[in-house]
Amino acid sequence: MNDIVFHAGRDLAQMEFRVLIVEDDPDMAILLARMLEKEGMSVDTIVEGDAALTHIMSSVPDLIVLDVILPGLSGFEICERLKANEATALIPIVLVTALEDTPSRIRGIEAGADDFLSKPVKGEELIARVKSLRRLHETRRELEARRLGAEVEHKETIRKAFSRYVSPRLAERIISDLGKEGLPFQSHAQRISVVALFADLRGFTRLTETIEVDKVVGMLNEYFAVITEAAYRHDGTIFSLAGDCLLVGFNVPFAQPDAAVRAWRTAQEMIEGFAPVLANWTRRGGISTGVGIGIASGEAIIGNVGSPYHMSYTIIGDAVNTAARLMQMAKAGELLVSGTVYDEIHGLLPAGRVASRGNVALRGKSEATPVYAIELAEAKPV
Amino acid sequence: MKKNRAHTVIVQKDLEDLIPVFMSNRRKEIETLRVALASADFEQLRQLGHRMRGVGNSYGFEQISEIGKQVEDGAIAGDRSGIASCIAEYSDYISSVQISYE
Repeated sequence: MNDIVFHAGRDLAQMEFRVLIVEDDPDMAILLARMLEKEGMSVDTIVEGDAALTHIMSSVPDLIVLDVILPGLSGFEICERLKANEATALIPIVLVTALEDTPSRIRGIEAGADDFLSKPVKGEELIARVKSLRRLHETRRELEARRLGAEVEHKETIRKAFSRYVSPRLAERIISDLGKEGLPFQSHAQRISVVALFADLRGFTRLTETIEVDKVVGMLNEYFAVITEAAYRHDGTIFSLAGDCLLVGFNVPFAQPDAAVRAWRTAQEMIEGFAPVLANWTRRGGISTGVGIGIASGEAIIGNVGSPYHMSYTIIGDAVNTAARLMQMAKAGELLVSGTVYDEIHGLLPAGRVASRGNVALRGKSEATPVYAIELAEAKPV
Repeated sequence: MKKNRAHTVIVQKDLEDLIPVFMSNRRKEIETLRVALASADFEQLRQLGHRMRGVGNSYGFEQISEIGKQVEDGAIAGDRSGIASCIAEYSDYISSVQISYE
């Protein structure tokens, strides 16, 4: 019977509701297809069980009319597998059985079939059953679309909120991890190893006293556009933006084994990226400033701090204090790093632009800190 | 059923284009039935009979479904001579049936 001619199905790919007929008798398959196509449905036909399952997995139909007896997998087996798979469980299945075959119907119910059709097939009955399941399917689909829409809207709100602090890429990752326990913004504080970067526009506060107020905001926006973009490019998390000072954390909230390298690249791009902005300021208003940066690594406490009215995702600890002190010491166009950071990045630093400052007693620290200076632009005293 | 008795089947007009292939497949089916009977392949005979039952009536050919049921039952019972009669009857029917469309 393998050489029985199989009628070519009509090309109705444009139609919305797609039915797959799995029927080993080609004459029966084309008859069923013809009945459904008359109702404006798009129909594919397959005569073999295994091929049907493969087809369904690659192109999920809206409804399946499934014969019980098939070469390869039986209709029951296909039904069971589809109903056990989350991606296909909701596809309505009409199982085609002999009218008097009660055991097959019971087996079909157990396999998860949604409805039954008897041979010989009556056109009116087929259409009525398919239409009924179609309505049900479309209602389910509409509800699912609404649910997904609400979920997308919710995630978009969260993404916008997170995007104030982290790069768009990190924000996406945070959203994709929502619902997983322990990640990423826990309500309880954590002590973790971080690399902290402080950047500041050296001497700018003093300059603002002589610059027109409306110009100050515009200039700060130009400056922050450059340095926040650099931070985001390397997936840093922005913890604080105050005045002309920016605090960026690495290795938080997600592990970054190359956190020190990311911090170094960020600092480099902050200073280099700000150079054309500064050149413009200098040309227009004779303004002389530059970005000074401090980077330190060590343990810190991460957590949400605040009150029910205002919360802030905050980083506290020695690494943060050290980075702040280093930034305060840095000249415009200069990066100061602690010894632990230097150990991680020294192979990447530009030759002839690195100088050890020895062990420096930083304010508020009992032990001296090894400090290295990297000149990234023509350094100027603060 | 008597040999060479004329039968007329009324088929829906919109299925007319399917009928030539349907009838061609039935003639192939008769050959397959004969081969299966010759080799006493009762499982295949049962499946073929079952298929005939389903497809015959669905197209409006009740006689095919009836013969199919006899083939299926005969295969389950291992009744070679009964099945041989059914195949002869089927062949006779297919060669003599008249089809009109409305």
